[in-house]
Amino acid sequence: MAGVIVADTLQDGAGNSTAMDNAIYGSAKAWVNWNGASGASPTIYAAYNVSSVTRTGTGAYTLAFTNALVDANYAPVSGCNTDANNGGVVKLSGSPSGALYGKSTTALSIVACNSNNGSASDTNQLSIAIFR
Amino acid sequence: MQVIIHTNSNGGVSVTVPTGEISIQAVKEKDTPEGSIIVDDSTLPQGSDAQFFDAWELSGSTVSVNFEKAKAIKLAQFNSKAVEEAQKRQLNTLAGLENTPDNATWSASLTAGRASIASATTTAELVAI
Repeated sequence: MAGVIVADTLQDGAGNSTAMDNAIYGSAKAWVNWNGASGASPTIYAAYNVSSVTRTGTGAYTLAFTNALVDANYAPVSGCNTDANNGGVVKLSGSPSGALYGKSTTALSIVACNSNNGSASDTNQLSIAIFR
Repeated sequence: MQVIIHTNSNGGVSVTVPTGEISIQAVKEKDTPEGSIIVDDSTLPQGSDAQFFDAWELSGSTVSVNFEKAKAIKLAQFNSKAVEEAQKRQLNTLAGLENTPDNATWSASLTAGRASIASATTTAELVAI
């Protein structure tokens, strides 16, 4: 059923409450968790408001949002597992050099890298959450 | 599992995996360029070929590995690891620690590794180096 609830505060039965702003601005607008080292194509574990994950190169991905975000000033939060031998880090760009920055209302490009030498690298756990 | 593939701006292959929130046809129209095609991911390079994603090339609806590209990728990875190892060995030397194997043996192993890459004929051989 469609409808609108207008309130300033949310409260549960135990009396715990929070400002409505926390629910509106503090909840992820999109998120996805996937395996980038699963063979020929990535394996999506779970997602919300992400329609697809495109592998564009080793460690490099573009996430497309199911519903566009209000603007491109969102805050992406990332995490990843290590690759086979080294630590991992996620860069918010389309390539390890950062030259192909890609952040729009409809998509976000990221690249997972080896934290030792900065080269693109795939791992079995990659996560991105978008806050706005 | 069905995926969407297309040749990307680097001449390689991009593989788009739908999350299931919308149909694969809708993903194809919304998230991939015109000319993209839907294939079963079992038709994509598997095993050791899958490890050389940046050497994939699309012809028609078939994705295959450009072996010369794969060799270049392997050589770059090999050289990158050699540089890391060289840095560790240099630190060992400065710290007065012994390098194992000795420098001559290690240097010979690098030469042998590069020769193995040059003479490899399959991606499985490249992975084994």
